[in-house]
Amino acid sequence: MTPLQRQLLLGLRPDQPRTLENFVAGRNGELLRGLARLTVPENTGSYYLWGPPGCGRSHLLAAVTRLARRPAVLSSADELGHTWTWQPGSLLAVDDVHTLNDDGQATLFRAFIAARNEGLSLLLSGPVPPLELTLREDLRTRIGQCLIYEIQPLSDTEKAATLAQHARERGMALDEAIVPWLLRHGRRDLPSLLATLDALDHASLELKRPPTLPLLREVLQLRLETE
Amino acid sequence: MSDFWSACLNQFERELSAQQFNTWIKSLRAEDEAGSPRRLRLLAPNRFVLQWVRERYLGRIEDLGTKFYGEPVSVSLGVCNTSDTTAPAPIHAESGPVLSQSLPPATPLSTNTASTGAGLMNHISDPAYEKTRLNPGFTFDTLVTGRANDLARAAAQQVAINPGTSYNPLFVYGGVGLGKTHLIHSIGNAVIANNPVAVVRYLHSEDFVSDVVRAYQNKSFDAFKRYYRSLDLLLIDDIQFFSGKDGTQEQFFYAFNALVEAKKQIIITCDTYPKDIQGLEDRLISRFDWGLTVQIEPPELEMRVAIVKKKAEASRIQIGDDVAFLIAKNLRSNVRELEGALNRILAFARFHGRDISIEVAREALKDVIGATNRQITLDLIQKTVADYFKIKVSDMYSTKRTRAIARPRQVAMWLCRELTPHSLPEIGDAFGGRDHTTVLHACRTVVDLKTRDTQFNHDLHVLLQTIKG
Repeated sequence: MTPLQRQLLLGLRPDQPRTLENFVAGRNGELLRGLARLTVPENTGSYYLWGPPGCGRSHLLAAVTRLARRPAVLSSADELGHTWTWQPGSLLAVDDVHTLNDDGQATLFRAFIAARNEGLSLLLSGPVPPLELTLREDLRTRIGQCLIYEIQPLSDTEKAATLAQHARERGMALDEAIVPWLLRHGRRDLPSLLATLDALDHASLELKRPPTLPLLREVLQLRLETE
Repeated sequence: MSDFWSACLNQFERELSAQQFNTWIKSLRAEDEAGSPRRLRLLAPNRFVLQWVRERYLGRIEDLGTKFYGEPVSVSLGVCNTSDTTAPAPIHAESGPVLSQSLPPATPLSTNTASTGAGLMNHISDPAYEKTRLNPGFTFDTLVTGRANDLARAAAQQVAINPGTSYNPLFVYGGVGLGKTHLIHSIGNAVIANNPVAVVRYLHSEDFVSDVVRAYQNKSFDAFKRYYRSLDLLLIDDIQFFSGKDGTQEQFFYAFNALVEAKKQIIITCDTYPKDIQGLEDRLISRFDWGLTVQIEPPELEMRVAIVKKKAEASRIQIGDDVAFLIAKNLRSNVRELEGALNRILAFARFHGRDISIEVAREALKDVIGATNRQITLDLIQKTVADYFKIKVSDMYSTKRTRAIARPRQVAMWLCRELTPHSLPEIGDAFGGRDHTTVLHACRTVVDLKTRDTQFNHDLHVLLQTIKG
């Protein structure tokens, strides 16, 4: 890979909006059906989703708030300060509740208190089940009262489907051998897999070479050498 | 759709008591959604009825729809918008400046409704009930009593019969999620059932703080004072949130004095004994001692089981003792999480169309208690498998190839692939620097054996359960 051969890229990424449709369901069918209901006005259920980083929590929160046919606010834990305003009947989503500071916890607590009278739904997420959250006990137990779902990891077949879909969205004509090879040789958590695919796409455009297995090997080798 | 709704009404009339039917179902108004033959919109007189119907009857309405049409129908719920305009005029509060948003005019439920044995049920669909902010599901009937709360319950019932005269204030304290809120809502609902013209208001301390702030901002302290002094029963939750808020404490002090002097009842909850509340003025703490202070303790196992069963009953679902025990054993410290666990099991059974058996409950509870959450490492898998097959952990990375060692090693490799995100080369490295193709071969062998050898399949199942916790 000599610098002379490189194509300068514009850095444009075909960012696909996060939706419930482009989340590969796997064993999460029940959860997805529940979340679809949450988008409907006047549904007052509250959900807490948990799972390790990369399991798709943020995707789901973003998808549900984007698709909601009611006022909806998505806030990351570090954005949630002392003041948080909402309209009655809103869907309020907070990602990574385990990182809430004291003000954020007080604010989320107030949302729980208001939920019944103001017809709010809460959609929360964290890395562990409510029993293991280290938050204020009055807040933690209220989270424990939500409908709790562990986001189930995808099987290799489902991961392969996700990668193929991701490649399609980026307009990559992927060599058939690539996905099985990635699942055999690379880290198999979804964020790592997607990042590798993105790196391959980048290299493919930059070097004007099709995204084939030999190119993927080169990319990974180069990454190994530069690390 | 109107045919369907008529059929629904007939069915519910058969299934429910007359009182339940009149309160929850008959008060709904059905609307066809334009151009959608399989869509029904039901309008409830207020949000409480809406929520109650959603929690307890919506599933049944959908089931009836599926039976009626032979395919699923879409049922949506809403609230009629006309409620506030028909509310009767306040009798205690003077007419005057408009109160702040969260201070609805103190309004008796219905001045011409006589108190009858039907009690609360007659009033829930009254739009004025919403202004009490009470939860109609929290009554003495739905409150499970045990050693943990029997004294508190007895005192609460006494207060509900003679508000303002028996114990004033009633101060209920106890840990988080033990049912303090349920208890005081029960008092509010019982007072309304006995005396429909009573002006009752439940609020969380945070709401009182917000009202004080708003009164400062709008310079509307006259309206604020008038409102709180017009109440017959003030239920205020989690008073510990007044800590360090001097302005709020001062306003509460005046309201407290005025209400007690007028023999109006005040009920307070807190997470600690009055004298232990930090950051609260002494003059307030000493007033909390004027009445009766009762404690709610954490429920013991049998009481937790009874609570779970009661909550299931409220959702019109029967669950066995084994399922109730399973929930109660796993969630010990508070009632809220018991409810969360039960709801999860109900949702799981409903989605999968299965009865609520102990297996279903176990499966659903994994999400709640996180059975799979233990950090699963390659080392953990190697050690567990070695222990199970009674070989040394060092055999996992040795070069020995006898079947007694090679088979457990293959099993461990397969488990590593199934339960961790490590790449095959990384797994191979952890097993004595083996090639990734060896790992792949091991995985294929295990998958193949699993389908042919029942004992082997059983071993895998046990190992999976052990490692996942």
